[in-house]
Amino acid sequence: MVERSGRATLLLQEQPSGTVIRLRHFQGHQPHSSPSLSWTGRYVAALVQQGAQRVPLIEDRATGALHRLPLPADRTAVRLSLAPDARRLAVQVAQAGQWRVQAFDLAGLLEPDLPGGVAIQGGGPGAPP
Amino acid sequence: MKRLVCATLLGGLLSGCMGSMPLPIGPLNRQLESLGANRDPSLSGRWLALISGKGGREQVMLVDLELQQPLPLPGLNRADAQPLSVSVDGAGDRIALVRQLEGRTELVLYRRSLQSLQPIAMVPSGVPRQVQLQADGRQMAVQVSRGGLWQVDLVQIP
Repeated sequence: MVERSGRATLLLQEQPSGTVIRLRHFQGHQPHSSPSLSWTGRYVAALVQQGAQRVPLIEDRATGALHRLPLPADRTAVRLSLAPDARRLAVQVAQAGQWRVQAFDLAGLLEPDLPGGVAIQGGGPGAPP
Repeated sequence: MKRLVCATLLGGLLSGCMGSMPLPIGPLNRQLESLGANRDPSLSGRWLALISGKGGREQVMLVDLELQQPLPLPGLNRADAQPLSVSVDGAGDRIALVRQLEGRTELVLYRRSLQSLQPIAMVPSGVPRQVQLQADGRQMAVQVSRGGLWQVDLVQIP
């Protein structure tokens, strides 16, 4: 996170080159907080401000798609963690004066982001053994 | 029968409009709820590390998401330490922890397979606040306070 015009702003930087990579969907929703990246950097997740709410947001850099995770009105998102393979998301919320962690399954929403050389298990009929 | 067909059509239309949504993992969330207040989640592979507290005392927990059970972490939690930030690698072996102990804030690396705890020095000196381990456990990003400024250090792990 870096300060831009006094507001915490998500910055994605490639290592080790230091090249800053532009994100499509985070602009205008500062302050950002709690950045999280999948294995190859395909998915970038963070909390953003939308109106009065803090909303978990995931940008798919491969397709340009944006995924929001709306939370019930009685919960405020505080922090998130995206699993490196992008199969799950954990969100810390404040609810009734207490912190809770809630986990979400992203399998129906995102393609997994696996490290290079890791095969996806399974397959349909006729798949090689 | 007519009512059933209408309900099915309506359901199909609604799901088509709303698209796929992240699904809460019900049994796991109930398990987490039973642990008390929880914060600072870190997901990697089949593991979820977090800071969990009951009765005012917080400790690091590691949950196996496939078994949906917390695992023992011998030698990591201390009654006189306050955990601040935690992160786990994809193998569930390395856990990086920022904690306050005896008035100091320190970064330590725990190896579950060895039950060992190794302090990681900040160079140049600074006060760590948050940590995030890379999934392969080879590197971590540490948010550090130095001279009133927040900085992020990338630390290689041997």
